[in-house]
Amino acid sequence: MSPGLVDRDGETHVRVIQGLVLSKRRFAGLLLGVVFLFAVPDLVRVAQALDISFFQLGVIHRGLVFGFAAVGLNLLLRHTELVSFGHAAFFGTGAYTAAVTAVYLDVTSLLILLLLATAIGTVMAGIIGALSLRHTGLYFALLTLAFGQLLYAIALGQSALGGSDGMPVRPGEANEPLLLGQSLGDAYGIILYYITAIIVLVGLLVMWRIVNSPFRYALDAIGQDRTRAEFIGLPVRRYVWVAFVISGVYGGVAGGLFAVFRQYVTPAGTLYFLQSGDILYMAILGGFKTLLGPLVGGVLLVVLEFVGRSVTPYFEFLTGAVLVILVFGFPEGIVGSIGEDGVFRRALARGKRGAADLRENPSVAGDWARRIGGGLRRQIDESLTTLRVIVFGVS
Amino acid sequence: MASGLETFIVQTLNGLQFGFVLFLVASGLTVILGILDVLNLAHGELFAFGAYVSVGVFGYITGAIAIPAGGGIVTNVVFVLAILAAIVVTGLVLVPVGVIFESVFIRPIYERDQVYQLVLTFALLLIILDVTKFIWGDVPIRTDSVYSGINQIPTSEFLGINFPTYNVFAILLGAVVVGGLFYFFERTKTGRIIRATAINREMATAIGVSTDRVFTLVFALGAFLAGIAGAVRVPPTAATLDMGTNPLVLSFVVIVIGGLGSLRGAFVGAVAVGVLRSWMITFYPPGEVAAPFAIMAVILLVKPEGLFGTWGETA
Repeated sequence: MSPGLVDRDGETHVRVIQGLVLSKRRFAGLLLGVVFLFAVPDLVRVAQALDISFFQLGVIHRGLVFGFAAVGLNLLLRHTELVSFGHAAFFGTGAYTAAVTAVYLDVTSLLILLLLATAIGTVMAGIIGALSLRHTGLYFALLTLAFGQLLYAIALGQSALGGSDGMPVRPGEANEPLLLGQSLGDAYGIILYYITAIIVLVGLLVMWRIVNSPFRYALDAIGQDRTRAEFIGLPVRRYVWVAFVISGVYGGVAGGLFAVFRQYVTPAGTLYFLQSGDILYMAILGGFKTLLGPLVGGVLLVVLEFVGRSVTPYFEFLTGAVLVILVFGFPEGIVGSIGEDGVFRRALARGKRGAADLRENPSVAGDWARRIGGGLRRQIDESLTTLRVIVFGVS
Repeated sequence: MASGLETFIVQTLNGLQFGFVLFLVASGLTVILGILDVLNLAHGELFAFGAYVSVGVFGYITGAIAIPAGGGIVTNVVFVLAILAAIVVTGLVLVPVGVIFESVFIRPIYERDQVYQLVLTFALLLIILDVTKFIWGDVPIRTDSVYSGINQIPTSEFLGINFPTYNVFAILLGAVVVGGLFYFFERTKTGRIIRATAINREMATAIGVSTDRVFTLVFALGAFLAGIAGAVRVPPTAATLDMGTNPLVLSFVVIVIGGLGSLRGAFVGAVAVGVLRSWMITFYPPGEVAAPFAIMAVILLVKPEGLFGTWGETA
């Protein structure tokens, strides 16, 4: 089955690889996304010429790295319905592994650093998963957060790890990791960006494979009803653990990438529970019911953070407020909302229908106004009742 | 008395004091978790917010009355009562915050996926963090006059131990609140209604309990306790922006040790964590951070449902 055009239901689709068949429009979107991903370093130069300050290679790179971790987290969130609030643990483990091997073992190879970060991050996911997955629901969230904070506290307390100051990732004479024995010098940032882009694409492809495999349906079944899944013979605990470890692998890779990209790791920047919250936030922001959402959310959140910090010192308030709006207004996230039956499409369809009605019979406008007025009055009545109940104890 | 033994006793008492503060935070968290099925990540920030509020209240009160200076029983009693009042006022300031939290933000999304509730409380955490920063600034603030004032009153000196009077005061206060809380849940009608709601929400609705009101009440109670905890914690230390994280995470540990939603479990867990942490600080400093988590891991392996199981039948 080679790549090419195929016919599906009378419409031309594009087969990218075996099993991945997209409609023309979606294929164009994918192509555009990939081109954009690899064109970022060049676009940055254009942006600089146009004086657009937020579009910097470092910002986009950072967003991709965190978004990649969010893609991993999303496997758990989307299919097993488990909310991990300790994903910074694997991210931080990966980052610190890279830092420790660079500083104490003097490993200079970029690829070995990344490989070790992934390996140790995976092992950590295995351990934390084995302990946390004894529970589900909120209890699981609470446990992952607690274990994450334990790692944070350990990193903070060990002087060998630099305490709260953190440690640098600058091995060898070149003061930076080497790629295949070559020092990259000035090109380090750009080449590392391309490496990150390739890893992100491969990671997405692997995740796509996973979520189109029988394993994913098993996870879905477990997420919907554990007892039933057990009764139909699924090894529930093993499967969930495997999913947890896979999501930990993504965290470890992202952590390793972060370490070699920033060339400096701190406990607050990698292991703190606010980072776990941020990674979860990215998945929600982009849309956790989609594959690409977390990555988009990651880039957007980091850009938002970069812009926000330059505007106001009360940046956390801003993110908090955006998050509240997101939860109430756009629970499907950005990618989810622009999808086929997202909030925007539905609003557009409603608007079109309304306009047609209005053309046919202008008196519907009066009905609308009455309906809105009635809804508003009902809302006010309800809030007043709530207020009376709170203040006086009775309505 | 051997000095080693004295250190041991003093550290145990210190641990007890911290344990009581931890219990105040953890009890609110565990009751909210047990009844509303919401893990309130912003609970630590409520604690920190209470700490900041208390600094203002303490400042107002110590400015208005005489600070004990070594004599006069009346002055001493008035001062202690004033501090008590200040702590209660701090708790009361937090009540409307809790009510708004529950009724405005969390109530509309009970029916949704749990991830949204988690994310929402996380958003509220971020918002409170910056509101606190906006009101009080980014520097630690303290109330030395309260701590030194109460320490002027002699207590432990009678036993020949050198132990700050403030800590005695905090332990006694903690014991009274713990007793009151158990009384509330065991003996009063409202407490029983709350427990009934925890056991079976639908049944409670069927016999005429307004679950909405119970939820709001529980959240208000949790905020009140967190506020008190913040006020008790401030005088010996200082109010800082990041002070909410540690009690929050240790509360999680306490809940895992004691069992989800169990008040009794939360009490045992909080005291155990507080005392153990305090011993570690003196006798083996590197173990301070890891010790509570070590107990948690052991409990998870041996008795995953926690020491006292689920809550409701008994407090």
